[in-house]
Amino acid sequence: MNRTVLVIGTIITAALIALLFLGLGRDPKHIASPLIGKPAPAFTLKRAGSGEAIDLASLRGKPVVLNFWATWCAPCWEEHPVLNETSRAFGDRVQFLGVVFQDQESKILGFLEQRGAAYPTVVDNRGKTAIAYGIGGVPETFILDANGTIVVKHDGPITAGQLQSYLAEVLGR
Amino acid sequence: MILAILLLLSGDALEQQTQEIAAGLRCPVCQGLSVADSRSEMAINMKAEVRDLLARGYTREQIEAHFVRAYGEFVLLEPKFEGVNVLVWILPILALIAGAFLTRMKLRQLAKGTAS
Repeated sequence: MNRTVLVIGTIITAALIALLFLGLGRDPKHIASPLIGKPAPAFTLKRAGSGEAIDLASLRGKPVVLNFWATWCAPCWEEHPVLNETSRAFGDRVQFLGVVFQDQESKILGFLEQRGAAYPTVVDNRGKTAIAYGIGGVPETFILDANGTIVVKHDGPITAGQLQSYLAEVLGR
Repeated sequence: MILAILLLLSGDALEQQTQEIAAGLRCPVCQGLSVADSRSEMAINMKAEVRDLLARGYTREQIEAHFVRAYGEFVLLEPKFEGVNVLVWILPILALIAGAFLTRMKLRQLAKGTAS
């Protein structure tokens, strides 16, 4: 009896330790997106300032970098120059699109005027697009391939190296 | 068609259903709060989405599936009884049964020892 209990107890304890050990290497804030490998949720949103409608479907044919951000988000300020510079570097090969939510258009326009806008920015007024993309905070960046399939979801500010690496991968497909 | 329109929720019934469904959804920008309990703008938007979908005739299951498609199972405060999630429900019960069994065995053994 004592031996059986010892063996069962050891097995259960070892399994629990192994499970906890596996969890140590994970970022507890990172939750895998169920959207990876799925078609990007469709949307048509108005461009900040002009009111011109931009339909995501119209951007098919080349990879798209979809960046969710807001002017009140400090990491978005750090990330903005990276997105601008990378957008200019990749030119017509990649379409960048900013999606701002939980913000005011006057603040968005002021931010873009002051910090530059190498690509269009649309406004998600009711946050419906942010919900469709499972946004839990800003900034979050999605990389779509030329067919409109989501291939990457990046949480938090993106670096130039990370963005270039994602784009090299998607362009090489 | 007319019946479908009549069945659509509105007024207090719509508000009550919205509240019930929102209470089962996790606010993604909060620490363990439901969409119903949070005052964050994200939760307010999610609650508005629930209300909007209910008003359009969506069922609770369809609305939950809509949020799970974007956020994953994480968005449900109570995991569904399916797949690996079953373990979350079954393991504590199994552990309880195993504990009771081992305690009974040990007590019997002790009783035997005392008797002899």
